[in-house]
Amino acid sequence: MLRMRQAMKWFLVCVILLISVNADANDDVKTLQLLLGRTCFDCHTEIDPESGVDLSRLETLNIDALMKLLPLIHEQVMTGEMPPSEANGLEPSERLVIDKTIRGILGANHSELLDARSSEMRFANYVNHELLFDKTAVANAATEKRRWLVSPKIFYERVIDVFALEGRERDNYSKRGQRFYGITNPFLLPDRSGIRYDDQGLLNGGHLLVMLNNAQWIAGKYVFAAVHDGENRGSLEYPDPKDRWLPNNIPRSYVELANARIPVGSDLIHQAVTDHFQRVLRRKPNQSELRLHTELTQKAIEIGGSAQGLNQLLISVLLKSEFLYRYEFGDGPIDALGRQQLSALEAADAISYAIGDQRPDQQLITAALQGALATREDYAREVKRLLNDDVYYRGQIDPSLNGKHYRSNETSHPKLVRFFRDFFGYPLCLKIFKDSPRSDGYYRNPGRGSLATPGWLTLEADRIVTYHVERDREVFRNLLTSDQFFVYHDKTNEVGEEIIKEWSEVYEKLKGSDWRNEPEAVLADNIDFIKLRKALKTADTSRPGELVNYMHYFSETFGNNRTPFTTIPWAHGYTFHHSPFYGLPPTPSIGRYGSWKSTKFQSGVEPKQFWDYPTQQPFAIENRKGILTHPAWLIAHSSNFHTDPIKRGKWIREKLLAGFVPDVPITVDAQIPDDPHVTLRERVESATAKQECWKCHRRMNPLGFAFEAFDDFGRYRLEEPLESAENRIASGDGKTSFDRFKTLPVNTNGTLVGTGDPQLDGPVTDAFELIDRLAASDRARQSMIRYAFRFFLGRNETLTDALTLQDADRAYLESNGSFNAVVISLLSSDSFRFRRVDPSDTTVALKH
Amino acid sequence: MNTRRQFLKRSLVATSAIAGVPSIGAASGGGGIPKRFIFLHRGNGLWPKVMVPPSFSKEQLEIERRKEALEVDLDGHDLPEWMEPLAEHRDDLTILQGLSGKMCTVGHHSWCSSLGVFKANERLSSIRWATVDFELAKLFPSPVGHVELACFPLGGGNARGSLDGIATGFSARGPQQPNYAFGSPKAALNELFKSVSDDSETQVKYQLDRQLLSFLGNGERKLSETLSQSELPKLAHYAQSIESIQGRNERIDAMGDQIRRHVPELDAKYLADEMTTFDRQRGHTEVLLGALVSGLTNVAAFTVDELGHRYTGIPGIEGQKVNMHDIGHGKEIGGLTAEEIRKRCRHHHMTLVDTMVRRLKSIPEDGGTMFDNTMIFYFPDGGETHHSHGTEFPFIVMSGDKVGLEMRRRYIRLPKYGDPGHKTLGNWYTTLLNQFGSSINHYGAHDVGLQAFGIDQTGPIQSLMS
Repeated sequence: MLRMRQAMKWFLVCVILLISVNADANDDVKTLQLLLGRTCFDCHTEIDPESGVDLSRLETLNIDALMKLLPLIHEQVMTGEMPPSEANGLEPSERLVIDKTIRGILGANHSELLDARSSEMRFANYVNHELLFDKTAVANAATEKRRWLVSPKIFYERVIDVFALEGRERDNYSKRGQRFYGITNPFLLPDRSGIRYDDQGLLNGGHLLVMLNNAQWIAGKYVFAAVHDGENRGSLEYPDPKDRWLPNNIPRSYVELANARIPVGSDLIHQAVTDHFQRVLRRKPNQSELRLHTELTQKAIEIGGSAQGLNQLLISVLLKSEFLYRYEFGDGPIDALGRQQLSALEAADAISYAIGDQRPDQQLITAALQGALATREDYAREVKRLLNDDVYYRGQIDPSLNGKHYRSNETSHPKLVRFFRDFFGYPLCLKIFKDSPRSDGYYRNPGRGSLATPGWLTLEADRIVTYHVERDREVFRNLLTSDQFFVYHDKTNEVGEEIIKEWSEVYEKLKGSDWRNEPEAVLADNIDFIKLRKALKTADTSRPGELVNYMHYFSETFGNNRTPFTTIPWAHGYTFHHSPFYGLPPTPSIGRYGSWKSTKFQSGVEPKQFWDYPTQQPFAIENRKGILTHPAWLIAHSSNFHTDPIKRGKWIREKLLAGFVPDVPITVDAQIPDDPHVTLRERVESATAKQECWKCHRRMNPLGFAFEAFDDFGRYRLEEPLESAENRIASGDGKTSFDRFKTLPVNTNGTLVGTGDPQLDGPVTDAFELIDRLAASDRARQSMIRYAFRFFLGRNETLTDALTLQDADRAYLESNGSFNAVVISLLSSDSFRFRRVDPSDTTVALKH
Repeated sequence: MNTRRQFLKRSLVATSAIAGVPSIGAASGGGGIPKRFIFLHRGNGLWPKVMVPPSFSKEQLEIERRKEALEVDLDGHDLPEWMEPLAEHRDDLTILQGLSGKMCTVGHHSWCSSLGVFKANERLSSIRWATVDFELAKLFPSPVGHVELACFPLGGGNARGSLDGIATGFSARGPQQPNYAFGSPKAALNELFKSVSDDSETQVKYQLDRQLLSFLGNGERKLSETLSQSELPKLAHYAQSIESIQGRNERIDAMGDQIRRHVPELDAKYLADEMTTFDRQRGHTEVLLGALVSGLTNVAAFTVDELGHRYTGIPGIEGQKVNMHDIGHGKEIGGLTAEEIRKRCRHHHMTLVDTMVRRLKSIPEDGGTMFDNTMIFYFPDGGETHHSHGTEFPFIVMSGDKVGLEMRRRYIRLPKYGDPGHKTLGNWYTTLLNQFGSSINHYGAHDVGLQAFGIDQTGPIQSLMS
C-alpha cells in the first residue's frame, strides 16, 4: 500500500510538472489523457467505447467537440460518478489534478461553460464531496467581487430606512409584518427547497416597472408631507382616502425645497440631495453626483415648480440600481494569495444581512469605523455578539402567513429559522391544493384571509424548527430525529395548564347537577364559583347556553379521562381541524354543541373520541420522527393527488447526501401509469424499471419508498386506498360522509446508498430506520453544512472553500451541535471575508 | 468613450444567453396585423340560465337543463332579451357554457382568479403567474402593453380607496405582481394620452417623466461602462429596460398624429368628479377603444363591476345607490326585483359590447375591419351565482372572422362538471394561447376535485381550435 501511495505521489509530481511546463493547451489535453488512462481506458477506448465516449484520442478531437466533451468528463469525475465503483478508483488528489487540467484547457479556449454552470445553485452538489472534506486540501478561499441583489426582505427594510421609521412604528413594519400601502416588492424568491436566495440575481425590466411605481409612491408621500408640513394631518384631503399614512421624520431640506420660492438656491438643493442619498444609499453623494442631481432638480423646478423638483430628485435616487444591490468589492492591501478583505463598512453590511435582514446596528458600524472589524477574530466577536442579541433582529419568521386566524411566530433570529425552512422546503405545502373530501373533510385549502390547513402546518413546523434553533444543541440531529412536535399550541404551557385546572374544577363541581335541563338555575347557583375561574370567561348569568356548551364539551373530554383542547370549539373563527394529519384524533367541530345562545342540549350527537390534548408542548407523537415526518414536509413533497416517492427521495439525495439527480431528459414524458389494481409504489416501479429510467431513479426511488407509510396529507398509514371508481366500497356526500375504497398494504422497504459509510448504507425497512441512519452519518451533517454555506454566502461552494466547510463542520461537532457555532465559523471564514482580485486565480494547493 | 450604441451592443452580447428578458418596450407587432383582446368581467355571478336563447326547442332545452353537451347554430334563434344589443352581431357571437373554475377563488370576491385560473385572495403571495390577458399581451406587444380599467369596489372584502384613482387592479403582470387599473375615464385618458395632451399639468408630468428616464438611462449606462464583463449583466438588463421605455416613449411620440386622431372625445359628464356607474362604464369604453384603435395597446381588461361596487344610474332607479350584494340576495330596490336589476345591468353591459364591436367594425384594416382581428369576452369573475361554487363560468364571446377559432355564431354547452369531455377555464385559456402562438401545454391550476372523475384537465379545447 505504501509503495502504491509513493508511486502515486511521483505520478502526480510528474503530472504537475507536465502542466507547469506546457503552456500549450494541446499538451494539457495529452496530460489529461494520461491522467484518465489508468482508470478510464478499460471502458472508454476506441474499440467499442462505453456510451460512445472514447477518451484515448482526445488530442484528435476538434476544438468544438473537445469543448463539449470536457465539461461532461469534468462532471462525471468530480461528482464521483466515474470511474464506477467496480473500476479502479481515483484518489482525491488525482481528481484535483483532473479538475485543474480541464479548467486550464477550457480557460485557454475561453470556454465559460463550466463556470457558468458551477455558479447555478442546482449544480452546487456537482462539486466533489470527498474533496471538500478531504483533510489534505489547503484552500485559498475567497469570494468573487460582487453586486448582490437584495432579498425581498432586505428590500423592505431599505424602504423602512428610506422613511427613517423609529420606535414602535419601525417595529410594526420591520418585525410584525405591517406593509406599506403603495409598495410592491419587486423581488420574489423561487418556490423550491434548498437555497432560494443567492448572488446570481439580475436586475431587470420587471424590477424597473415595479420600482417606478414604488419610487413614485415614496416620493409622493414625502412631497405631500413636505408641502403640508405643519398642517393638521387629520384635516388634509389625501389623494387616496384609504392611503392616509405619511412619514413623520422628514428632513428639513425636503420641506424647504418643496415650498421654496423660485429661483431656488443651489445650497438648498445640495442639502436635499445629500440628505436623500444618505437616506436611500446610506452614503454621501460624490461631487459628480451632487452636480448631476442638482442640475436635474433645477430643471424639474423650471418645468413644474419646487414641489415637482423635490419629487424628481427623490425618484431619481430611488431608481438608482445601487438601491437594489448589496456591494461587496473588497478594499485595502492585496494579500499573498491575491485577495482583498471586504472594506469595513462592506463587512458590517455583509454580517448584518447574513444574520438578519436589517442594516448593521450602531455597534457594528462603530466597530467598522474604528478599525475593529478587520481580523477573523473581529468578525467572530461581532457575529457572536449579534447572535446573542435577543432584540435587534427579532421578528416574525414569515409575515406572509399572517391572516385572520394566525400570525407567524416571532423569534430572535428569524433568518436562522428561515435557513431550515428553505432547506427542508416544507412551506411548499402552501402551494399544494387538495381535494378536501379525500381527507374526510379536514383539509382546508388556502382561501380569502387565511392560508388554512397548510398555513397551520407550516406555522407548526416553524415552531419546532424555532424550538431547536433556540435550544441550539444537536440541531441537525434533533431536526431529523426528534419525536417532539407542536400541535394547536396557541397558548403557553403555563396558561394552558391554568385553563385546564379551572375547567376541570368547574366540571367536577357541576357534573352532578342538572345542567342539561336547568342551565339557568345551575349557573345562578354557581356563578360566584364560576366567576373565579376566569378561563370560562363567564362574568354573569346572562349566558346559560354557554354553560351547556362548556359542560357538554367537558363531559366528552374530562368525562372520558381526556384533556380538552384549551380553545373552545364554538369560539369565533375557530379553525383547528388539522390534528388528524399528525395521526391524532380530531377536536370537536364547530357547531357540535350548537349555538351558545341556545340552552338546548344537543343530545343527538354521535359519540366521538376526541384528542387528549397535551397542554405541555412540544410533546411526543407516535409514528413521527423529525421534520421529514411532519405533515407540512410530507404534503410539500407530494402531488395534489397522491404521494410522490420520487420527489421525497430526490430531496433526501440532494439535501442529506449531497448528491444530485440529472434533469429529466427533454425527450422523456414522465408519467405514472394508471392501474387501479396496484399501489402507487408498484406503478412507480413499473414506470421507472427500464434501464434508461433506473439510471437516475435508483438515486431517488429507494429513498422515497420508505416514506410510503405517510399519505399525501402526511397521515401515517399501513394500508393504501386504491382511489378509483371500481374500487369504491362506500360512497359519501363529500361533506358529512366520504368515499371509501379497497386497500392494499403499503411496502416501506427501501435502500440507503450514498452515506459513504458501509455501516450505514444498505436496506431499510421504513422511514424511521432511514432517518436514524441518515442522522448518524457524517455525510448528512456535512451536506447540511454545505447548504448553510450557500445560504450565508449566497453562492455555491468550490474546492477552494474546503477549509471553510471543514472548519464549520468541526465547529458544529466541537460545540455539541450548535448551529450558532456553524454561523460564527462561516461568517468569520476566509470565504466570507475575502474578495478575489483576480477571478482566474483559484489555485487549490495540495499539502503533499 | 463608449457611445450608447456601443453600450447596448456590449450589453446585448453579455446577456444574450440569459432567458426571461422582459418584454417591456418590445417591438410592437413584429410585423403583421396583431390580434386584439378585450376582457370584460363582472361581479355578482352570471347565471347560466340567463344565457339560453328562448327560441330553443323543447329537446334542446331539456339537454340544456341536464347540462349535457350541446352545440346550436344561433342563426334563426332569438337571443335572450338582455342580449338584444348584440342581435346585429349574431354572426360574431358565441355563447359558451359549461366551463368550470373550481380551481379559482369563487363566491363574493375572486380578485385575479378568473383571469389567472388560480386561487387568489388579495394577498400578493397568492398571485401565482401572469393572468391570461397579460400572457396574450406578451404575444402581441404594443407600446403600452396592456390597459386595465375598472369600476372599483368601495365596499365588500376588497375595497379600493377611491373610485377615481389608479389602484390595484384585477389582472396580474406575473407572480406576486398585481397590475394597476384606472378607476376613472379621466385618469385613464390623462395617463394614456398624455403624450398628446393639451392639459398643461399633464404636459408638465410628461416632460418630467421623459427628463427622469433620460437622466436615469445616462447614469446607469455610465456606471455599467466601468464594470467588468462578468459584472455587466448585473446592470445590463436594468439599463436596457430604461432605454426600452425611452424607446417606447419615442415610438409613442412618433405615433403622435395617430394617437391624436383617436383621443376619445368624452362628454364633460364622463370627465366629471361625480358620475353614475353606467356613465363610468361608457366613459371607460371610449377610453379603451381609443387606446386600442390608436395602437397604444392590443389588450385591455375592464372590470365592468365588482361585488363591492355601489351601482348608480340603473334605468328606473337612477337615483338609487344599489348594493349589489343585496341584489345577490334577491333584495327588491325601488320597486324593481333583483332579477330585473340584474337584467338591466347586463343589458347595459351589452350596449358597451355593441359599441365596441360597431366602432371596431367601422375602422378599415387589412382589407377588412379592425374587428376582424378582435375578440371580446364577457364573463363573471366569480362563477355561476352570487354564492358560486365555480362549476360554471358562462362566457359571451365576440370574435372577428380572422380570429380563427371555430366557434362563431354558436351556442356551445360543454359537458357538465365531472362528465367525460368536461372542460375548465384553464382549458379555455389554453385554447386561446395555443391559437395565438403560445405552445404552452396548459395554462392555469388544476382542479383537484376533477381527479376523481378521471378527466384529463390538460390542454386546449380541440374542438374550438382551427
